[in-house]
Amino acid sequence: MTSRASRRWRVTLTGATDMAVEVDPQAVTPAEKSGPLVTNLRRADGSCRRRFEVVVDGWRFEASVEPSHQATLRDKAARAARERHHSTTSVLRAHIPGRVARVWVEVGQQVEQGDRLLAIEAMKMENELRAPHAGRVERVAVAVGALVERDTELLTLG
Amino acid sequence: MSLRKDSRLGRPFRRLLIANRGEIALRIIRACHDLGCEAVAVFSDADAASPHVRAADLAMRIGPAPAAQSYLRVDAIIDAARQSAAEAIHPGYGFLSEQPALADACAAADIVFVGPAPATLAGLGDKLAARRTAAAAGVPTVPGLFEPLALSGPGWEDQLARTAEGIGYPLLVKAAGGGGGRGMRRVDDPATLAAAAASASREAAAAFADAQVYLERYVERARHVEVQLLGDDHGTVAALGERDCSIQRRHQKLIEEAPAPGLDGHQRRRLHGLGLAVARAVGLTNAATAEFLLDPAGEFWFLEVNARLQVEHGVTELVSGIDLVHEQLWIAAGWPLSDTVLAAAAAAAEPGAHAIELRISAEDPGRSFAPSPGTITRWREPSGPDVRVDAGVEEGTLVGADYDPLLAKLMVVGTDRAAALQRMRQVLASLEIGGVQTTAPFHHWLLDQAAFADASGLATDFVDREWRPAPLVQAAALRAAAAAAAHAAEASARVSAGALAAGGATTPSVADESASRDGASASPAAAGGWWQAGLDELLAERL
Repeated sequence: MTSRASRRWRVTLTGATDMAVEVDPQAVTPAEKSGPLVTNLRRADGSCRRRFEVVVDGWRFEASVEPSHQATLRDKAARAARERHHSTTSVLRAHIPGRVARVWVEVGQQVEQGDRLLAIEAMKMENELRAPHAGRVERVAVAVGALVERDTELLTLG
Repeated sequence: MSLRKDSRLGRPFRRLLIANRGEIALRIIRACHDLGCEAVAVFSDADAASPHVRAADLAMRIGPAPAAQSYLRVDAIIDAARQSAAEAIHPGYGFLSEQPALADACAAADIVFVGPAPATLAGLGDKLAARRTAAAAGVPTVPGLFEPLALSGPGWEDQLARTAEGIGYPLLVKAAGGGGGRGMRRVDDPATLAAAAASASREAAAAFADAQVYLERYVERARHVEVQLLGDDHGTVAALGERDCSIQRRHQKLIEEAPAPGLDGHQRRRLHGLGLAVARAVGLTNAATAEFLLDPAGEFWFLEVNARLQVEHGVTELVSGIDLVHEQLWIAAGWPLSDTVLAAAAAAAEPGAHAIELRISAEDPGRSFAPSPGTITRWREPSGPDVRVDAGVEEGTLVGADYDPLLAKLMVVGTDRAAALQRMRQVLASLEIGGVQTTAPFHHWLLDQAAFADASGLATDFVDREWRPAPLVQAAALRAAAAAAAHAAEASARVSAGALAAGGATTPSVADESASRDGASASPAAAGGWWQAGLDELLAERL
């Protein structure tokens, strides 16, 4: 490796929005580096990606950062894996902890993109979950009244 | 015995229990200690380590985390008061504050309830009864129903459609027992009416154990203004000025200010007079707030009375100089309104200062203000002259889904609105919160809006019409990515240097959870294009 300092980095953001962007750190000014509130987060076990929480004007992101060449290799591997299991099945998970307030669909039902599937009540509000794509409801993993944590599996859409 | 005004010797109570949690519990504990009263906190299992538990002189566990099994249990609250020998209970806002059941139980247990009489609570808690009372007192009410809707029985949907047609669209479905925007739906056309009414009724039944809903005309481009009222046991009521709370989402307030901008002395006196008329009609004692709409023609329309301390009471305190919780405690102990309060009320139509409050909640303003629970990993409050922060959380607090997402209220006061706004910009810029998404970005945006700065945009639908977070999130994301990459590169260089220095034997680790910031704000446009280059490359890859 000749020049560590000049290489580009892939930044994958989650939180206020999900996006990936390539950045040349050499072009980032000191003010741009220190303006946002940046906190180191623990790396996932075995991962060489650095993780930060970054807050900009109150918007909160979690940033996962790795050298671009490494990210590109991983992308290729992931694409190959996707091609091997070609399918449009998606497992919908709870985006917030709460209580399942309503279930509008049942197994076998055909839904269109944007149809209401179920609602989670959190902080006394009903938060509706809608279908990300058209499909058939293959599995409903929760019932009305169930308490769910973040990322609990709710429903499988085929 | 005669109670002389302004000769309050001693203290209103020896010991007072606060039937609430979070920032309002802390705020009431502070007032107790100001007056030499001991404060008893109550807590659920989720709040055992909360700041309000530590701040109190004594804390009593009242049940598991869900509010229905803790903060909403009248029997547990009364038991805690008995066991702690508290003479009085302050309910705060929300939870049991407007429930006649707690006030009744207090009376039965010979405990003073810091709030209006149970009969007043019952009359005002039913929004329909309150509308009837206001109308009978000659106070203009928003056009709409005075009786609840029937949401079952043969032909109820047709009946509902005819009733709605009589009032006119757009309209609001409101919960008779409601508050805080829950059980409320805006309906723009007949097609969605029945579903909206049913869903509002369900939400109302879950939140208030009262499924009754009614219809009210939705007044477009209206402002939300409200009058702070105090009443003593001796028949005196006073209006301590008004607040503007027009900036709302989902009918929940985001920002409040006192006084309401743009009103002249004549309008203020009229508004305060309407509030006092309602207060007298219901025989108000203790503290309450009468809410009104101000339509574009300058007319006030009665909405409802909140018979409790409001979340936003602090802005009135900053302008009037009156500590409303102190006054609540003195009133509850039987004292008449003081000369200081009456003088503040007399001056309320000509206010000499301006105060603003921002609500910082664990909600994602980029995703329709959806709840965003999590653990607060970083918490730095602003401070300084004429700055007040009422917070209920600290680093390490787990913000769960069991309770209201309000974390803190940032307040400032200035000689006028422009001075207060300028101070608030600085205050908001120095707020540091990590771990959860909050409403702070919305406030950053709002304070920069010309239509907010000159008050011309104040209207309850301002957020719906103007708040478009996507471009703001996008710009913030690019700045976040730049900062993250720069930090990663620096850390990587440090590790390499360390590894070289140590002959490659060990790798020093970067301290976790450390933070850096120098307060300067960054603009990607000035950077010479690191981000543009990155985006171009990504786009090229997709092509």
